[in-house]
Amino acid sequence: MKPIYIKILIIAAVLSMACTTKVSEWVLLNSVPDKYILVYFHKGALTESAKQQNTKLKNRFKSANILLQTKQREDIESPKYALYFNNRLITEYAESDMFADIDRSPLREKVASELMAGKLSVLLYLKSGNKQKDENGLQILNKTVAASPFGKVITVMELDRNSAEEKHFVSMLLNVEDDLKYIEEPMLFGIFGRFRALEPLLAKGISEENINLMIDFLTADCSCLIKDDLPGSSILYNGNWENPQTALVNKIMDENPHLEHH
Amino acid sequence: MQQDSVRYDTLDARPLPKWLTDQRDGLNTYQPEKLEMKEDRSLQISLISTGAIILLTVVLLTIYFLKRNKKRL
Repeated sequence: MKPIYIKILIIAAVLSMACTTKVSEWVLLNSVPDKYILVYFHKGALTESAKQQNTKLKNRFKSANILLQTKQREDIESPKYALYFNNRLITEYAESDMFADIDRSPLREKVASELMAGKLSVLLYLKSGNKQKDENGLQILNKTVAASPFGKVITVMELDRNSAEEKHFVSMLLNVEDDLKYIEEPMLFGIFGRFRALEPLLAKGISEENINLMIDFLTADCSCLIKDDLPGSSILYNGNWENPQTALVNKIMDENPHLEHH
Repeated sequence: MQQDSVRYDTLDARPLPKWLTDQRDGLNTYQPEKLEMKEDRSLQISLISTGAIILLTVVLLTIYFLKRNKKRL
């Protein structure tokens, strides 16, 4: 067979597979995380120690979805760092020590390892601090995931809103939408791909119906509409996304063709 | 981010995420074209063309064998 025919066959096969890849798998394999921007504001000339500090940071951030920029501003009293995402100010830091763990944290590493292991999604339950509300939502979540045919490929994790260890992670989650930080209700984030968090379900929205719609969204065939306008927001993470395990959802789909939906 | 809701009176009035409403309403996939029934003549065309091919073959073979036998005679 002529090489040109082989190439055409391979391209056709890849194209036909592209339309049946699930949203979660497609995003993990193809979607590059959006970048955060850390800006170092300084008054006057950049000092030598600041230059060295920023060089260290740049090296550290090489495998993270964050860029470091420096800007001179005369209207500030002292130098500071500010973290932005999509032109939205997330936090300001007076010292670099304050964001030592900005790009990594124990829970983020656990989430990333689950996603790299081929899990469909991590459903992250952000607790409000109100025990009654938190318990209610968690009960619905656990019950729904246990009853779902995809329950085995979904990991449920909990996070306290006031966790000191995960304060940067909580801050980024609460910036997925601009009003979340003012809402003191339990929230459920669907995390998939290379640490992309869907706009959350919150309060009474954490219902069996809505959780199942979230699972449906993640297990649907990845249409061009989703690819062009991917919902959610990237979370800052410093890790390797190369060579993930095969998506576990495919095995479930192969064994249960009736679960296939579009 | 598109579904950021900065103005709402109560939590109940806060809109659901767009990905969720799109999934619920089936808007995350392309809507298939509406199929309209048209008069189907494919069977007739198929029968006529098959008949024509058979006839043509018979005619051609008849001519061929007649010519061949004519030479022998």
